[in-house]
Amino acid sequence: MLRRPPSLIIVLVLLLLGDGSAQKTVRASADVQNSVATDEGIAIVVNQENTVENLSMKDLRSIFLGERSHWGNGRRITLVMMEPGQLERKAILRDIYRMNEADFSRHFLQGLFTGEVFVSPKTLASPVGVRKFIFNVPGAIGYVRASDVDSTIKVVRIDGRLPDDKDYELRMQPHTGTK
Amino acid sequence: MRRRTLLIRAVMNAMVVRVSKEVAMPFRFANPIRALSSASRTAAVRRVSSSLLLLGAVLTTVSLHAQQTSTPVSSTDQHTIQMLLQRIDRLEARVAQLEEQRQAPLQPQVVKQEVATLTPPPDHITATPPMAAPSEHPAHGPAMPSPVAQQGADSEQHVEPDVSNPEPERMDMSKTLLRMRGFGDVSFNGADQKGSTTSFSLGQLNLFVTSDISEKFKFLGEIVFESGPDNFYEVPAGHKNEFAVDVERYLLQYSYNDYFNLAVGRYHTAIGFYNTAYHHSTWFQTTTGRPLLFQFEDTGGILPIHNVGVSASGRIPSGSLGLHYVAEIGNGRASRSPLEDEPVQNEVDENNHKAFNLALFARPEAIHGLQFGFSGYHDLLTPLAQPPIGETILAAHGVYMMPNFEWLNEVVLVRHSPQDSSHVFNTTGFYTQISKRWGSYRPYFRYQYINAPNHEPIFPDVGLRAGPSVGLRYDAAESVALKFQYDYNQMRNQPGANALTLQLGFTF
Repeated sequence: MLRRPPSLIIVLVLLLLGDGSAQKTVRASADVQNSVATDEGIAIVVNQENTVENLSMKDLRSIFLGERSHWGNGRRITLVMMEPGQLERKAILRDIYRMNEADFSRHFLQGLFTGEVFVSPKTLASPVGVRKFIFNVPGAIGYVRASDVDSTIKVVRIDGRLPDDKDYELRMQPHTGTK
Repeated sequence: MRRRTLLIRAVMNAMVVRVSKEVAMPFRFANPIRALSSASRTAAVRRVSSSLLLLGAVLTTVSLHAQQTSTPVSSTDQHTIQMLLQRIDRLEARVAQLEEQRQAPLQPQVVKQEVATLTPPPDHITATPPMAAPSEHPAHGPAMPSPVAQQGADSEQHVEPDVSNPEPERMDMSKTLLRMRGFGDVSFNGADQKGSTTSFSLGQLNLFVTSDISEKFKFLGEIVFESGPDNFYEVPAGHKNEFAVDVERYLLQYSYNDYFNLAVGRYHTAIGFYNTAYHHSTWFQTTTGRPLLFQFEDTGGILPIHNVGVSASGRIPSGSLGLHYVAEIGNGRASRSPLEDEPVQNEVDENNHKAFNLALFARPEAIHGLQFGFSGYHDLLTPLAQPPIGETILAAHGVYMMPNFEWLNEVVLVRHSPQDSSHVFNTTGFYTQISKRWGSYRPYFRYQYINAPNHEPIFPDVGLRAGPSVGLRYDAAESVALKFQYDYNQMRNQPGANALTLQLGFTF
């Protein structure tokens, strides 16, 4: 038994844990105007100069997690994410990261802390911003809705499929395809 | 009549202001977040058109009203109306321009140079002053905050238009390149060990600093303020309750590709898993502190946690096995002679022999979160008035880490072999730690064990230490964790000790 039972510690713990209201996780859930979710595909897009045409889902996950930091030609990968609350970002967190916002932040913070992640993702507010950034940065990779794709950026196939294909996995709504 | 005219003028002015804002907003490049997508641009055009129609209706009403009342319009009002008409002409021209842009297909520009010439995409209005260079080269761009801090701060402002930069590695001295994140903790702890008191304790205040020097180079540092005396194997150094500053990591990293990265400076030795996964922050850790096996040198740890030298790391082409390597050469740890010396040889090695460490580990693609591997470390210690002692450290680990579940297992063998003797002193240690998260709560359990021989030449005071720890981590917010932990520590030839710790860890 404790020689001097630190009962004060136990009392403090009970007081702090008893506050259920504090359980709510603080989260920047910006209520953006994307109120209508569709089954639209999310295109993985890169700079037009990038020679990559196709990525496996595993490779894509590895890139988005920061485990791969360079393209085959040695150029550094710059990951572009949209702001928290955007439906596209929610879909990417669900389908690629399999994390919530808090886990995502912690993952990259810890990756930077350990040195395993060389650069943290850029965060941009809109599809226009993503397009502009990817247009300007040869090593960039990001995502936009298929309807937001234009000719300034290049869509990469994922497991050989494009966003309009039936079994394409990255969609605004959870994929219910056969694959 | 005068009042009515004034009212009409007020309405007209309000309409003009609204129309002006509607049209001007998409072109306000100083705030590119508001730059319009194709869809929103269409909406803006519609709003502008509606506003113009409404304005036209108001003007028509004014005109008719003026004719009906046959009241002569003052020269001031005529002037105002004339100005408004001119403004409408300008706005109509702008609407036409917008519609033209919406209908015309976007013609991509060809980037002639990979990095040197950066231009905005064609749907981009270019009425902006030149800014700094590409965001991919952080040396040219604004300092990039860490993910948490970055959200909301980073925006399209990172896209810098119309910049031709023939020197891709040129450093922009006008911008700070430092990013900083802080970690800290405050504890309230008590134990029934002889000599201990129940106390509030300030933990390490850690300033984690990174800087993207260029596309390939990066600086990483940890500057730690900590209170209390250092304790090199039970030999206290410094004054009680006094703060001191340690530079715990100090690294220049070079990233060539995924298969070869180089770092030079002071780093955490890649022995096992915990030492490179967790550094000087309790907030990242599930428990209130590191396992005994991986305690820092200045708190009685037995391993060379820090090293000064060169480290190479990267992936090994191995398909789905996900092999990685780490190869390190550095000064190694001092031999505790004299005892009060700093264990990490930051500036001078006590001998010419360098410490070598090689670690291999795998992250199989098939089981995300699984990592297993081993490492081998060798150094030569040269304590005063003793023969040199060879030090070999073998470590193996198998961990499974997912956001909601973790299971860490590590075992270490430390071999000290005095060169004047055939006797080898083996110190073994292991720990296992398991935890699962339910919402904001994460209960955990850890059992740890270290057993050093009684006459161990380097750390004879360690002896046997073993015992369980059980606790609960509660994430009160994304950046704040409250932990409550009970430890039982069994020691050789001493009574077991109980301890309770309440800790608030945070990042900022």
